[in-house]
Amino acid sequence: METRPYFVLGDLLVNATVGALVGLACAALIGPSWNMWLGMFVGMALGMAMALVLSLGLFAVLLGAMEVMVPAMLTGMTAGMVVGMAAPMTEVSLGDGARWGALLGLVCLVVTYAANAVLLRQTTHS
Amino acid sequence: MDAATRAKWDRAAGTFDLMSSRGPEWRWAPAKREFFSAMHGKVLFLAVGTGLDIPFFPPGLEITGIDISPRMLEKAQPRADAYEGKIELLEMDVHDLAFDAGRFDQVFTSCTFCSVPNPVGGLESLRRILEPRGELRMFEHTGSRWFPFSVMMHLMTPLSRQVGPEMNRPTVENVRRAGFLIREVKHIYLDIVKTITAQAPA
Repeated sequence: METRPYFVLGDLLVNATVGALVGLACAALIGPSWNMWLGMFVGMALGMAMALVLSLGLFAVLLGAMEVMVPAMLTGMTAGMVVGMAAPMTEVSLGDGARWGALLGLVCLVVTYAANAVLLRQTTHS
Repeated sequence: MDAATRAKWDRAAGTFDLMSSRGPEWRWAPAKREFFSAMHGKVLFLAVGTGLDIPFFPPGLEITGIDISPRMLEKAQPRADAYEGKIELLEMDVHDLAFDAGRFDQVFTSCTFCSVPNPVGGLESLRRILEPRGELRMFEHTGSRWFPFSVMMHLMTPLSRQVGPEMNRPTVENVRRAGFLIREVKHIYLDIVKTITAQAPA
């Protein structure tokens, strides 16, 4: 599991930033007039697309494309779904969207780190 | 020679180091150092690219490095010259290897079979130029078996294919289909980045 501070802090920054921007975009785009399920699917698609674009630039150059893209896309998908589903049901301000997105980004990163820790133990021999 | 693939990697050569020489190399340096420490005997390094992996090679070996792209090889030459041993760089397509059968003890690849157009055919070419029981060692990224990562790798592939690699290749299965015996699969990042050790048949 990654323990070097440069990469751990970088991963935290990427996922919080991607989550916040996706949450912000979903809160701005999706409103009370939307169907909840449509909001969820649009939020998910928008979040994954935004995460892919955001993670391919400077973040990938400085932190490694694979280790940035995979958790960032999970963050984009989750933040987009949650904020996209919540916005039709209750009032979600831009600030709320960004905060929820950032928090979900940190959760997704922890999930990815945990999955990585489990999978790293699975060396197969024949 | 696959002209389309050569042209793609010639185009990529200009920005390859910018995209790959920092984050990915820093991230994978410990794993790559350990991976390449197993080099011995007559070694073929497939798809040497701009030579970013050369600093991880153990010193004192005689290594043949090939790549389909002459622009990549131009950029790799200074790194090959700086190596404390001997590295011969040759322009060659994995599908059309100009080596005698059984020429090499080991073949190493590094993030290569994500972009070889016919991966099983390429792996069969490698099996031919390895001596019986010769070793194939690969540091590769592949598709994932696990949701949601598997979905993401499939979604990224149509885009990534335009500039170079495919993200969802079943490389371990391809190695098996090419007639190798899988010895070890070790995960480096999730089940996506991994090292594969395989053996040519006797």
